[in-house]
Amino acid sequence: MNVLPYGPRAVLVEFDSLDDVMAASTSWRSAALAGVVEVVPAALTVLVVHDGSFDVERLPLPESSVPTETGQSVTVPVRYDGIDLADVARATDLSVAEVIDLHSSALYTVAFCGFMPGFSYLAGLHRDLHLPRRASPRTSVPEGSVAIAAGFSAVYPKLSPGGWHLLGRTDLAMWDDDRDPPATLPPGTRVRFLPT
Amino acid sequence: MVSWGIATTVVDAGRPGRAWLGAARGGAVDVVSHALANRLVGNPVDAGGLETSGGMSVQFDDPTMVAITGAVADVSVEHGPPVGWGSPVVLPPGAVIRIGRLYEGARLYLSVRGGLDAALVVGPDPSTAAATQPAARRPLRDSVRIWPGPRLDWFDGPAWSVLTSASFTVASTSRVGVRLSGPALVRQRDEELPSEGLVEGAVQVPPDGQPIVMLADHPVTGGYPVIAVVDPDDVARVAQATPGETLHFVRR
Repeated sequence: MNVLPYGPRAVLVEFDSLDDVMAASTSWRSAALAGVVEVVPAALTVLVVHDGSFDVERLPLPESSVPTETGQSVTVPVRYDGIDLADVARATDLSVAEVIDLHSSALYTVAFCGFMPGFSYLAGLHRDLHLPRRASPRTSVPEGSVAIAAGFSAVYPKLSPGGWHLLGRTDLAMWDDDRDPPATLPPGTRVRFLPT
Repeated sequence: MVSWGIATTVVDAGRPGRAWLGAARGGAVDVVSHALANRLVGNPVDAGGLETSGGMSVQFDDPTMVAITGAVADVSVEHGPPVGWGSPVVLPPGAVIRIGRLYEGARLYLSVRGGLDAALVVGPDPSTAAATQPAARRPLRDSVRIWPGPRLDWFDGPAWSVLTSASFTVASTSRVGVRLSGPALVRQRDEELPSEGLVEGAVQVPPDGQPIVMLADHPVTGGYPVIAVVDPDDVARVAQATPGETLHFVRR
């Protein structure tokens, strides 16, 4: 782990793998370190923001890189009728049924959130479904779209622009301001997709 | 609201602690001015108020104590006494306050005693209610203190001295951030940076070399290298920077 300076009230901690990121961010969040305001995991880093009273030298070394099993489990029901199913099948040399089967049989873990509130990056996508983002992003992706790109799966929490491949839709809401936490799939959550 | 004006929105102090779920702090972009406006009318500092970039008119049905902070603006009141900067005034029923053009600063804050969202407000906070001294507005400094950022080593040798010696002109401002224009900050590493966490005040540099300073509604992660971070005490100053204005960065 490599600690990079980020002003007087934050540090950016760099890791070698997503597994290390998930282990460190889960352990630092559950430690509820006094003075720490935000613990923000991303692909290879964890940002730690504090109120000025936290000594970053005291950031504990994560004990192991094995992702902890503390997350809740959520099943996301999906209608696999996405407009990119056929394109994904073509690009991966699979049938549409195989794409659906590979996507819905995997067990995912939320690695981090980003892009917009409640947009969770799900690690665990089958290797055969790893595709880059679409060459040209759409200006409008419907709320609840279940999508894949860049080695992750995700659900669009709201109507927004987006460049991921759309496999289907879910009616499960991804964000509720009145709930704690407001995100349906916070980092650490175990996720399965259930075809309906 | 008689007229919503430019970028007018109801804001509180925002909600830190949700970046891990993809949500930035939100709330007032200039938290210092927002808090001052609240204290002047005896509100808790996180009570709801209005943030506007001008052209806003509000009519009051009941006697209401208000205060204005942030940018200096043309302010006129119909059917009521004048309202100055940083000084609480009680407006009678039927009064209309009109915020015209902003002169110094990009965002003006209007607080209302009791707060704008009744659900957010439990009552005046006695510990802050004494701050009723009419304040002379502090002139805005043009220097902004910065710290080295996590990806300073992604830039070439001269980039830091360019950043801390040249003038940068504000190209545009929004609740997301302030776009600057000046001499290009040149990268020495061209590979793609995996998205990583951003803080308020992060100075992010896209491929064109023109820096962007992140504000209250910034994305929680970004894929452009962060060369520097604005000192937390100077973020409110950057939030008030107006297009065309020049800023100087100095090493904190």
